[in-house]
Amino acid sequence: MIRFCLFFLLVIASIGCLSGMFVIFYIENDLPQLPSPLSRIIETPQSQVFAANGQVLITLGERKSIPLNMVSQDFINAILAIEDHRFYDHHGMNKLRTLKALYITLFKPGKVQGASTITQQLAKNMFFSFEKTYQRKLKEMLVAFQIETSNTKKEILHAYINQIHFGAGAQGIEKAAQVFFGKSALDLNLSEAALLAGLPKSPTNYNPYHYYDRALKRRNIVLTRMHQTGFITKLAAEQAMQSKPSLYKARSDSRTGSYFLDALIRNLVAEYGEGVVYYGGIKVFSTLDPRLQNHAEVSIRTGLEKLDALMGIDDTQTVRPQGALVAIDTGSGAVKAMVGGRDYYKSEFNRAMNSRRQPGSGFKPFLYYAAFKNLGFHPATVMTDKPVSVKIKGTKDWRPRNFSKTFSGDMVLKQALIRSVNTIAAQLVEKTGPDAVTAVARICGIKSPLKDVYSVALGTSTVSPFEMASAYSVFATLGTRHDPFLFWRIEDAFGRIIFERFVQEKRVLDTATAYQVVDMMKSVIDQGSGRVIRKMGFDRPAAGKTGTSDNYNDAWFTGFTPTLSTSVWTGFDKKRTLIDQRKKGITGGRVAAPIWADFMRKALKSDPERDFPIPDHIRFETVDVQTGCNPEEDGKENENKVVISVSLKSEQQLCGDEGQ
Amino acid sequence: MAQQWYEPFNFTEWLKRAFSFLNIAVLIITAMFVFSEFRFDWFEKMAGSYLASTNELRPQIGPIWEKGKQTSNAHQYLNAIISKKEKTQKNVRKAASFSDLASSILPGEWVTLESREFKALYLSLQRAAALKVIEPAQLVWLLNNDTLDRIFCEGTQKGINIYFIDDQNRVIKKIELANADISSLETGVKPIDGHLSDMPEFQGRIYRANDFFKALFTLPKDIIPDLISHPEVLLRQDGKITHVGIWNESKNGYIRLGFELETNGVTQVIFVNGREWAVWQLSLNLKGNSN
Repeated sequence: MIRFCLFFLLVIASIGCLSGMFVIFYIENDLPQLPSPLSRIIETPQSQVFAANGQVLITLGERKSIPLNMVSQDFINAILAIEDHRFYDHHGMNKLRTLKALYITLFKPGKVQGASTITQQLAKNMFFSFEKTYQRKLKEMLVAFQIETSNTKKEILHAYINQIHFGAGAQGIEKAAQVFFGKSALDLNLSEAALLAGLPKSPTNYNPYHYYDRALKRRNIVLTRMHQTGFITKLAAEQAMQSKPSLYKARSDSRTGSYFLDALIRNLVAEYGEGVVYYGGIKVFSTLDPRLQNHAEVSIRTGLEKLDALMGIDDTQTVRPQGALVAIDTGSGAVKAMVGGRDYYKSEFNRAMNSRRQPGSGFKPFLYYAAFKNLGFHPATVMTDKPVSVKIKGTKDWRPRNFSKTFSGDMVLKQALIRSVNTIAAQLVEKTGPDAVTAVARICGIKSPLKDVYSVALGTSTVSPFEMASAYSVFATLGTRHDPFLFWRIEDAFGRIIFERFVQEKRVLDTATAYQVVDMMKSVIDQGSGRVIRKMGFDRPAAGKTGTSDNYNDAWFTGFTPTLSTSVWTGFDKKRTLIDQRKKGITGGRVAAPIWADFMRKALKSDPERDFPIPDHIRFETVDVQTGCNPEEDGKENENKVVISVSLKSEQQLCGDEGQ
Repeated sequence: MAQQWYEPFNFTEWLKRAFSFLNIAVLIITAMFVFSEFRFDWFEKMAGSYLASTNELRPQIGPIWEKGKQTSNAHQYLNAIISKKEKTQKNVRKAASFSDLASSILPGEWVTLESREFKALYLSLQRAAALKVIEPAQLVWLLNNDTLDRIFCEGTQKGINIYFIDDQNRVIKKIELANADISSLETGVKPIDGHLSDMPEFQGRIYRANDFFKALFTLPKDIIPDLISHPEVLLRQDGKITHVGIWNESKNGYIRLGFELETNGVTQVIFVNGREWAVWQLSLNLKGNSN
């Protein structure tokens, strides 16, 4: 009987060997080829994006392999202790652990015991999907055998630590150390190394940015295991358990961390495909100016903090107002800075490019240009601020109101823009027609759908801050349009040019008429709804327009100097009014204009001061705000006359009867 | 002869049978088999060695190879762009005329021209044709301008665009050459069938030939060469000029004049460029006559 049992065992072992060989022959053709050396295809060339000053902004598709001697020994010990402490003893399979795992799987339903060695994990990560089947497990084991045969333990460990996933998009220990601790893998201390070594088991569940305590518990398990396997003393383990590693604040994962880069990458992928962008090793020379970008981020952050205080919103509240800023070089269309929200890591939605909001009065410059060009009106044309009712076929009359809810009677158009008088804007659009306004917006580069309704002149069609900054830059150049763009040049890995941008000018507005509108917009900053900008000490020649949508949902300021056009938007993502603690609506002049001024002051600090060039045939006249006539010649005696300087073309006369 | 198996009748017999030489041998072999596997991993090593020997015959599959393929595809794509551009550049270098240049660059393709290359192409044109491309004085100014960095040529559906670029990547001058213009540059100016009155660009500015020439000769003598700078184009024609039209817009400082010819009952139109300011002078004279 005993002999029978022994024979049986021997036969079983022989059959096992034979069937093992049969299985190898059978599935051999389905097994992947192994690269030699293993790290050859782990490394892929990196694509780089550079800022305008040559600084590297981001490296895409980077799979940088670092040698073992550039990795903290604590991390190597920790990963060996927790994943495979017999790594140096086996040949790809830990047989005792495998038998134990098999026993648990077969006889203890519901319980799962992992037995994968580091080599098997490497095989799985490199060549197989995460589908859990016995066949995949078998293939993984066979590939592990081959890896062990063809490579030294050092080479296997090197490949493993460079391709392992730590979550948050970090692959490889160097990337993980940078993402989670902002340092190189060599500088990791015991506590940090143990925390990272605990992540591969379940990168999502142990993500320290989301589940810090859970990650610490896992780290403690790693430290205990390190002590049990003899890598560290009990004292060292206990000391490390006491520490709480600080996570790298600036970058909570491997996302770009930048709204500008997101937009740029999306552009590149649309043009060249994901493969070229992430694996092509290209060099992209972007338009971003890091100095301006930094100022933009600070200005938005501080501006929104002030808005929070104004509204009585504290840090504990989850729904807080958002903001966006885009700055464009007027001479080329190059985007110099872009902020798409108050915190990229909390919301990646790029409000600068992808959010369309009502610009309110920010659309009036297009209306005034249309009225000047098509109707022959000029800044001294007089119109009346009065209740207006515009008949619209098939629906009720349109009755726009002023923000002040009062009417001021006669005034010149320059004054109407400075005071952002809606009733006069409504009368103008009634005369020009909404299509004339949308036509001007279109030639200035607004691409969003615009409704063919009168109220389009008061900014009821939604647009993005990116479009507004770009469209206003056409006024800054007195009518020359440069299409906005995010990169200058793309080169391949060898420096050969794939794409190059040339700055082409398109004259789209009449210079003198554009200047008249710009001159009016200058006064918006000097004495109108944007005068807070002057109070804040920004004293360069600049023009702009505030915008506040109905019910105070959106507050804008878009303005420009001759060289830089910047649009600032603030508001909530969802429809919600901006009201202060006294229940008063917050306008663009109160919240967006200060952000604009703060940014522009810092952005242009080192640039020489320039004014807008005055075109030929433009003359300046001082007129009575009410009559539009020369105050000395209008024949009316009034000591309290308010006068204003207006720009007129040589053929335009004062005291005409236009618009009356 | 077969032995009859019988059950051991006592414990000693059991032990004797259990520890027989054969049993112990089988046990030792089995133990050695299992122990050696645990100790020396010979099965894993054999399997690993065998698989290593067949490695090259197996497919390159799996996520890591896919990524490698993506890299290789990306490089192939980029290399295709570069080699296409280099090929175009090579053809452009060989171009002896603007026609060659235009036929070398397909729509969407672009190349950089050296100043001397552009100069050579320009100088190969007859003076009248060269004027259509760019005024010589302006070209001299552009080529001597310190800010000129390179000349960039782009193929379009209609023909080619030539950009003069400064060191800030700004376009200093853009020349648009339609395919029809390019062929006329090479072949010289040829009349086309049709009437001036059918061409909307001449509406309201068509004059009888006599009136046109009368007005022309009232101009100061030094203006006339600027108005019809290449009279040989007209003199080469066999037909009789019946009407002259003035185009409604200027291009590069020139305004197109259309001369309607009657040749053996066939009406044709030939175009000649006149300097903008000279044509305006003539227009004033023509208006004065018609008033």
